[in-house]
Amino acid sequence: MGSHYEAPIRKPLVTGNKTYHQISVDVARPVEGSANKQWWIVFGIALALFVWGIGCIIYTISTGIGTWGLNKTVGWAWDITNFVWWVGIGHAGTLISAVLLLFRQKWRMGINRSAEAMTIFSVIQAGLFPIIHMGRPWLAYWIVPIPNQFGSLWVNFNSPLLWDVFAISTYLTVSLVFWWTGLLPDFAMIRDRAIKPFQKKIYSLVSFGWSGRAKDWQRFEEVSLVLAGLATPLVLSVHTIVSFDFATSVIPGWHTTIFPPYFVAGAIFSGFAMVNTLLIVMRKVCSLEDYITIQHIELMNIVIMITGSIVGCAYITELFIAWYSGVEYEQYAFLNRATGPYWWAYWAMMTCNVFSPQFMWIKRLRTSIVFSFVISIVVNIGMWFERFVIIVTSLHRDYLPSSWTMFSPTFVDIGIFLGTIGFFFVLFLLYARTFPVIAQAEVKTILKSSGDNYKKIRDNKNG
Amino acid sequence: MNKSLKKYWKSEVELTNNSQVEKLRHDEFVEKLPVDNLFEDEKSLNDSSTNRRDFLKYLGFSTSAAVLASCEGPVNKSVPYVIQPERIRPGISNYYATSMFNGYDCANILVKTREGRPIKIENNKLAKFHGSANARVHASILSMYDSGRIQGPMYDGNNISWEELDQDIIKKLESLRFNNSPVALLTSTISSPTSIKIINSFIKKYPNITHVEYDSISESSVLDAHEIMYGVRALPLYEFKNAKYIVSIGADFLGDWMGSNYDGDYAKGRVPIKVDGTATMSKHIQLESNMSVTGANADVRIPLKPSTQKLFLAHLYKKISNSDINLPELDKKTNERLIEISKDLTLNGNSSVLVCGIDDVNAQLLTNAINDLINSSVKSSSKVSLIRKGNDKKVNELIAKLNNGEFSGIIMSGVNPAYTLPNPKSFNDALRKLDFSVIFSMKMDETTSLCKYVSASSHYLESWGDFQFVNGEYSICQPTIKNLFDTKQFEECLLSWSGNENSFYDEIKSNWSNNILLSNTKWNKAIHDGVYSSNDSYNLKSSNNSFSYSALELSKIKSSNFELLLYSKIGMGDGQQANNPWLQEFPDPISRVSWDNYLTISKKDAESIGLKNYNESNGALNSNYALVKNADIELKLPVIIQPGQANGTVGVSFGYGRMMGIKSEMKTGSNAFSLYDKFSKIQDVEIKAIHEIHEFACVQLHNTLMGRGDIVKETSLEVFNTKDKEYWNPVPVVSKNHIETAVNKKEVNIYQEFDRSIGHHFNLSIDLNACTGCGACVIACHAENNVPVVGKREVRKSRDMHWLRIDRYYSSDVSFQDDNQNKDDINGLSDSLSVFGQMEDPNENPQVVFQPVMCQHCNQAPCETVCPVAATSHGRQGQNHMAYNRCVGTRYCANNCPYKVRRFNWFLYNNNDEFDFNMNDDLGKMVLNPDVVVRSRGVMEKCSFCIQSTQAVILKAKNEGREVNKNEFNDACACSAACSTGAMSFGDINNKESEVYKRKKDDRVYHLLEYVGTKPNVFYHAKVRNNDKLKNI
Repeated sequence: MGSHYEAPIRKPLVTGNKTYHQISVDVARPVEGSANKQWWIVFGIALALFVWGIGCIIYTISTGIGTWGLNKTVGWAWDITNFVWWVGIGHAGTLISAVLLLFRQKWRMGINRSAEAMTIFSVIQAGLFPIIHMGRPWLAYWIVPIPNQFGSLWVNFNSPLLWDVFAISTYLTVSLVFWWTGLLPDFAMIRDRAIKPFQKKIYSLVSFGWSGRAKDWQRFEEVSLVLAGLATPLVLSVHTIVSFDFATSVIPGWHTTIFPPYFVAGAIFSGFAMVNTLLIVMRKVCSLEDYITIQHIELMNIVIMITGSIVGCAYITELFIAWYSGVEYEQYAFLNRATGPYWWAYWAMMTCNVFSPQFMWIKRLRTSIVFSFVISIVVNIGMWFERFVIIVTSLHRDYLPSSWTMFSPTFVDIGIFLGTIGFFFVLFLLYARTFPVIAQAEVKTILKSSGDNYKKIRDNKNG
Repeated sequence: MNKSLKKYWKSEVELTNNSQVEKLRHDEFVEKLPVDNLFEDEKSLNDSSTNRRDFLKYLGFSTSAAVLASCEGPVNKSVPYVIQPERIRPGISNYYATSMFNGYDCANILVKTREGRPIKIENNKLAKFHGSANARVHASILSMYDSGRIQGPMYDGNNISWEELDQDIIKKLESLRFNNSPVALLTSTISSPTSIKIINSFIKKYPNITHVEYDSISESSVLDAHEIMYGVRALPLYEFKNAKYIVSIGADFLGDWMGSNYDGDYAKGRVPIKVDGTATMSKHIQLESNMSVTGANADVRIPLKPSTQKLFLAHLYKKISNSDINLPELDKKTNERLIEISKDLTLNGNSSVLVCGIDDVNAQLLTNAINDLINSSVKSSSKVSLIRKGNDKKVNELIAKLNNGEFSGIIMSGVNPAYTLPNPKSFNDALRKLDFSVIFSMKMDETTSLCKYVSASSHYLESWGDFQFVNGEYSICQPTIKNLFDTKQFEECLLSWSGNENSFYDEIKSNWSNNILLSNTKWNKAIHDGVYSSNDSYNLKSSNNSFSYSALELSKIKSSNFELLLYSKIGMGDGQQANNPWLQEFPDPISRVSWDNYLTISKKDAESIGLKNYNESNGALNSNYALVKNADIELKLPVIIQPGQANGTVGVSFGYGRMMGIKSEMKTGSNAFSLYDKFSKIQDVEIKAIHEIHEFACVQLHNTLMGRGDIVKETSLEVFNTKDKEYWNPVPVVSKNHIETAVNKKEVNIYQEFDRSIGHHFNLSIDLNACTGCGACVIACHAENNVPVVGKREVRKSRDMHWLRIDRYYSSDVSFQDDNQNKDDINGLSDSLSVFGQMEDPNENPQVVFQPVMCQHCNQAPCETVCPVAATSHGRQGQNHMAYNRCVGTRYCANNCPYKVRRFNWFLYNNNDEFDFNMNDDLGKMVLNPDVVVRSRGVMEKCSFCIQSTQAVILKAKNEGREVNKNEFNDACACSAACSTGAMSFGDINNKESEVYKRKKDDRVYHLLEYVGTKPNVFYHAKVRNNDKLKNI
């Protein structure tokens, strides 16, 4: 894959005079070494949050949805906000690994493994919410079209919630397969380096008997391409379908045709921000600065800037269409969004999502690690508020003023959200300690073309 | 529908070859089993051997059978009837006509019983007066199934038997008679002819007894005025169906005014029906201080302080009688109104009427005088109302004597003076000291707990009785269930104490035969009908002509501080049923607050005192407290800023603040009887702010319509009569190929329409002109559909479960039409911000509108498409079904419902100690309708158009081999059956003769949020207001 030539003006993607062996060593280091204190502290916090979240979920399921802050008017709030937020975050992984693969963007190789891991872990978080938000979650299997003999009945294919089930489960499956396929040569590398028999056993199991023969590589490349082809439409479809939950409804503020592209852009936006958040920390902690370079971060910042602007356009389009439609309910819904009792949520969203990414036009800021980190967090706060704004401010004042009310979360709402964050980091931290966090096999393919030392040699030769 | 005698067959063989099928039907197995051979032939049985495999099979079977048998399933004990009672068929409801009067509420009703168990109250349409139940009467059925009732007679807190009680009391009564020691008999108003006889003979036996009737909320001034003028101590009776012009000065005649039941008649005159192209309707002017349901329904509502009302009345009298009285001047604006009103009163002649709720004899005298002067035919000259008899003077006298220790004993029935007296302390002390104190009571309430002898009394549904609410109009009360507890009726005890061995039933029967029916044969029909009309009537003629003195007296009264008007809430009345969770959770029609009473105050006054209402982050309504001071009595009350409250006035409702004989959840509000000084509803008070927070449970947090004129369409009578329907009731349009097309046209429908011309197609019509917001339908729906009570905490979180709610909107400008205009005039963003901002606040004297909203049963329902498991889907007959068993509780349907009528079971509301209401109580559960499932936690629920009843109607017709009668369905829906004003009409629009079909053709018909395209099966009739001329005054 890929040519061995790269234009001299392109910045090297691997720095630090790496050799093939050094790459193996660098990637295997976190797996082979033991965890430091910081890891344990962060893991401990994440685990505590996770356990707290489990407690809140148990409380919810055993007592009722009434433990949340919902009411007769606002039937969804943090639950679906969190669901959409996590699904959105889960978008970056597949985009990076599939779409960028098809577009032959080599810089994806440094980050795609972790981005995909993030995708899978966040889709797991997302998948929790549709189940626990049900009044009777023990009957969740009723929304799956299984034959009537099983005891459930046939489902309603008109319902966007059902489409969600398919969209999310397909996405999770394809992402998982894609991720694992990419992992095979890297697991095999760790297997081959492993000294402890137990470790060797495990890694040989998970690497599915990778032998490194040419046939293996050929199939690997083919499967990767095929899966990339499969996954690319999914990048667009998942959040499109999630947006249908709202777009197909009759509620002003939900009933909007712009939602599918707007949601996809927003999802990529938040996904990239989350990748930035994770990798900026990971490259430092795992000493992977040579593989995840400033250039990687800069490129991701550019994506954030662009998608942030698209999202901003969508916000403004919504307002315009509300005015242009001449429908008073629609107009009021958006007026209420920006100036009603939840104005602070709207402006938090606007500030975080539309204004803050604009700083990325400035090169010095988008190449600043600290700034990128801060913006990546800000963006995800903003994206959470976007979903909150869409869901809660549309519902709390819809058609009949007699039903207008407000929503306020309870400790359970908050606890479950924090719990999923904890769960996510538990998974990610475990991943960082046991998985090859860089797709080293792929990085090795570009070492000769994009490694700084090789590039230097070549440039010197030519120049 | 004789076509229903169709033949069904299971297989072709059954159709053609009947004999074979007949044969097979008798045999359980197709082939004969060879067991006979085996057991008959002993030899072969002995020869047969059990091999190892069979042995293991038997062993396995018997072991598992033994194990299974030892696991005992839950055993539900049910006792079958030893002798099946006649007319009780499981699954079939029986209806009994009865009537009730508890000293405050009265009604002629039908009681629906299932398997011998009363479960619902319905209106008795045979009754000419009081034939409809209000919200409290509807809820009274639950008060019978109250496990907090006194379950048997008691002495000094210990259970005794009735024999002991009777013996004791007779002994005491006789010794008191011997010593000639006075004994008081304090009862609520007795309107029962037989009870009056029994009491009289009881007093004849014990002449030392003084009987005084005591109304907790007194109408003494009205009675006094009536007695002075007409010589009959009774309440005047009004027949509003004759009224063209109604002026009410402080009379809440659609609410609780004098136990009124006027809304049905009133509504008849309020519906504009076009005859020869012109419609007429009555005009209603309301002058009042508190915002009442009546004021909310008025065409013109003028907020006036009670003192100004009095002056206004005096002036009105002066004007109409043309007398020369020297009265203080009214202010200019009020005077203009006075001129207008007096002109119209005389202009409309005998079809106009003045009603007055001012608690003052002079005011009532003037009211009667004015009605006589204008020769009003609305005020009946032959009939009077007999449901209030209490005389303040006599009550005061009795209480004073009692406090002075002049009585040696007291017998009470139907009263709770320790709660309802303004200052019960000395009464309580006196009562406590008495050796002989007997009370008939259902609850261990404030007074009962102070009495020595407690006679556990029966609920009216367990009782016999008779009433005369209106002279000549008799009602019978018959038991619909055996006494649940060891209880007795007041009259039964009096009979046995006076040595009469007859039962109360015998007494009633003989009294009716001899004095009322004057026949022995009409008794059964009277029992069946529940009501009987005789020709008994008065000829009320005033003996006095000039009331100048009264006018002068009335004009003298001056107020200094705040004028407090005490009133009663539709939900709670005088507080007898405070332990009824349905009533506690019933939102007040005006304030929409449940579980509380409060001080209503105008916005201006609240601001000047520093009182405020505000919403918490979850929307819940809070207020700070006001300290209401009346002489030496202080009462701490939370505050509701009430639009329409006259400045300088405040209002507090009775009925709350009960402390004894009541569950802790129901101990809500404060006792306003403590402010009821001298039994006067108007008091001078001082108000101070207290900076403590009170938490309200208010079901409607936004009060205005935000200029959304298509939600509640309305117009004026003038426009209604002169303009086309398209002008005042246009169908919303959408653009199709740049042509504006009405949304109800086929070509703009994206769905394929289902053919609904076959079978039944249910529609519900709601006439906003007829709906008074009384809320009877809310409670009826509660009872019919096993709607759970969720308690104050949950209502506060906007989680009320009512399937039917009555939205109340205030206008934010002076009228709703102005609101719409203001919204249409918005120009630009900043303007829209300020205009919408202003629209959030109601006007200080707003127009009010009530709109009952329940599931609209959309033919193209947004909820149906989004349910992932198809738990909600459309019925053949137009209903939007909800399969609770199928629901997984995603709440998507509720979110996508434009009407927000779906209710989610946030918790388990039955058998849950956290929700300790009637569904967590074995006795309370007896009120549940067995035809309606009790929903579990985590499922959505909503109005079903009472499908259990509509199906029952269809089945009944089918069994009887006939078609469903044209309006039979109307009584199937709990709400339309309960509606006494005819605002709701339910039925089959495929039956071209049905009322609802006719109503659907009306010009005023519109659908709620029609532009959304949901095509609801509920339709509304636009409200027409008769306020063209008086708009500016």
